[in-house]
Amino acid sequence: MNIYLLAVVFCLLFLGITVELIRRQKMAERYAIIWLLLGVLMLVFSVFPSLLDRVSALLHIYYAPSFLFFIGLTFSMVIILHLTIVVTRLNRQVTRLIQELALLKAQNKEETSDDRPAHRTG
Amino acid sequence: MRLLVIIPAYNEEKSIGDVLRSVHHHHPEMDIVVVNDGSRDQTSAVARTTGLAHVIDLPVNVGIGGAVQTGYLYAHRHGYDVAIQLDADGQHDPSNLDKIVDVIRRGEADCCVGSRFLEKTPYKSSLSRRAGIQFFTYLIQLVTGKRITDPTSGFRAVNRQVIRLFAEYYPDDYPEVEAVVLLERKGYRVKEASVLMHNRAAGKSSITPIKSLYYMFKVSLAVLMTRIRNVS
Repeated sequence: MNIYLLAVVFCLLFLGITVELIRRQKMAERYAIIWLLLGVLMLVFSVFPSLLDRVSALLHIYYAPSFLFFIGLTFSMVIILHLTIVVTRLNRQVTRLIQELALLKAQNKEETSDDRPAHRTG
Repeated sequence: MRLLVIIPAYNEEKSIGDVLRSVHHHHPEMDIVVVNDGSRDQTSAVARTTGLAHVIDLPVNVGIGGAVQTGYLYAHRHGYDVAIQLDADGQHDPSNLDKIVDVIRRGEADCCVGSRFLEKTPYKSSLSRRAGIQFFTYLIQLVTGKRITDPTSGFRAVNRQVIRLFAEYYPDDYPEVEAVVLLERKGYRVKEASVLMHNRAAGKSSITPIKSLYYMFKVSLAVLMTRIRNVS
């Protein structure tokens, strides 16, 4: 088995795992798109290795494999950036949820057990 | 006019009781809400036992910003005219409440911050803390043109409009400075009134030396971002 075939098999495996994760609903489609994109891109370069040389030449990259590193790094950065945005949003949502829950529980408690401050009448 | 005192509390069982009694003693007309931010001690029970405050228990610790905002949500939904933020550790003296509330009552400002440095008071703080606060005073002056002598003070009173704004958005951690800049940016009037602050009655300050570097960077970044953000 040569390295080109290995690369193709690896990419297909990668895509297969991604699709399987979406199928099992372990990964939401909206987050999976970027992974699928990366998988397809890798597959294209694996099936047509000469493409890498041509694109590299076009971009004046003298050592073609470094273009691969560039793609990998770029995708990693974009995915991590995206995740940070998601975490920020989740954090905000969870905080609001906790606040609403606490307010509701406090209201419920005061209504049922008349746990109101003594000096208040209304 | 209905007034609400918001007291965020995290592990303050030693001081919360006295603070509540003191607020009630000086201002029996004010309602009090204690937002217990997931304390691991008896803060909630102690506050309830006094019978002087509504107690809201956050099921987990969300941080000071989220806790204070819970108080503003409460104030907004129950239609209060003025909300006052007061620390649970006994630093803020309820006998000074009128100084900041009167400014709001008279309609002179939308937010009034209780300042340790506006006039000379017996309050003593470390040189590094003083320098840190000075830095934020300059930073705020730089981005808003307004001079706030004690922007880190959590002793403040706000009116109805600001209650609504804070119920919707409030900075998450170390929120005091950013909140002032946000108000200035949105065109609200921020004023200061001189107050006396005590050194902490019990417990530890939330800002340890290790955290202070993060604090300076985070707050500075937040202030600059608030300046260039489209706020209206």
